[in-house]
Amino acid sequence: MATNRVKTRELKTGEVVAYSEAAIRNNAAAVEYCRTSMAALSGCTAGILGLTGALGFLFYIVAVLGLWCMLLMKSGSNWQKYFISRQSLLTNGFLGGLCTYVLFWTFLYGMVHVY
Amino acid sequence: MTELLIDPKIRVWVFLPIVVITFLVGIIRHYVSILISSQKKVELTQIQDSQAMIRARLLRENGKYLTAHSFAMRRHYFNNEETGYFKTQTRPPVSPNSTAMLSDLVKGNFINVLPMVIIGGWINWMFSGFVTTKVPFPLTLRFKPMLQRGVELASLDAAWVSSASWYFLNVFGLRSIYTLVLGENNAADQTQAMQDQMSGAAVAMPQDPKAAFKAEWEALEITEYQSALKGVEAEILANINSSEGATIYHQSKTDDAYHRS
Repeated sequence: MATNRVKTRELKTGEVVAYSEAAIRNNAAAVEYCRTSMAALSGCTAGILGLTGALGFLFYIVAVLGLWCMLLMKSGSNWQKYFISRQSLLTNGFLGGLCTYVLFWTFLYGMVHVY
Repeated sequence: MTELLIDPKIRVWVFLPIVVITFLVGIIRHYVSILISSQKKVELTQIQDSQAMIRARLLRENGKYLTAHSFAMRRHYFNNEETGYFKTQTRPPVSPNSTAMLSDLVKGNFINVLPMVIIGGWINWMFSGFVTTKVPFPLTLRFKPMLQRGVELASLDAAWVSSASWYFLNVFGLRSIYTLVLGENNAADQTQAMQDQMSGAAVAMPQDPKAAFKAEWEALEITEYQSALKGVEAEILANINSSEGATIYHQSKTDDAYHRS
């Protein structure tokens, strides 16, 4: 795989910014790591708290938004150095995370509240 | 809705073991596939072909920076009617039944399908007929056959999950956990491989070199040479003249000149 492949994005001013593909992929992998951990942990929390129905899904959305805020805080004002777009940082892997979240939610809910 | 009371022993002897078994089987599958996977053997001619293709593509994309003579020379090397690389190289069509590919296929099946069938069947047989848990959100009746496999009770609420279905929920839900534990590109992800098999992508043939050569030959043939550096000397000189007064620098020295000034 080419390591010095370059991705470009055009700014509103017409200026073209080049991104290193390998670095972008590395950042995306790190964010994915955070997201999976977040989904698992928030699923555990929701299960232990005994949230049911829409409240649990609301909790997931709150957790996703919280993670997004934390990522933006971490990357600071010059987020464009690390990510191509802020929206995709929020929406990427939403459903995959939901799958993990539901599993852990069900698991802990079953362990604590059903029996 | 009346609450069901479930024996806590089901939690210890059915609910937990299924989670643990599913997770550990994924881990084992990862390491077994590392153990028995073989380095892919590539034929020399294949590499030669692909490198030639890459060179031809680069020539098409970046040929504008060459002089007209160099471009024509390189194109001649590939496309000449009698001696061109794309014209003279003849490759036998790829036989789909080469042994290496076949053994790869068998190994893939061995790793992916066999454990799925065996473990799934074993779980079905060992833990059949338990109502294990309840999903914490309401579901419609449509989900009943999906979540209550092996427990045929018409009056049971759809939110209850049977043991067999709990296993499948785990199989799909633990996918991203494997990424977390084993790192990217792990082999534990059987669902991906299954999707590949269904769409036939796993048995995709290496493309026929003859057809690829023909396509590349055509593309190169219609490429028209157009220099990107036309009049570049005059342009640079004009820049220098406007910014530095009347001083004329040698082209390769312009950078030094800027630094010194």
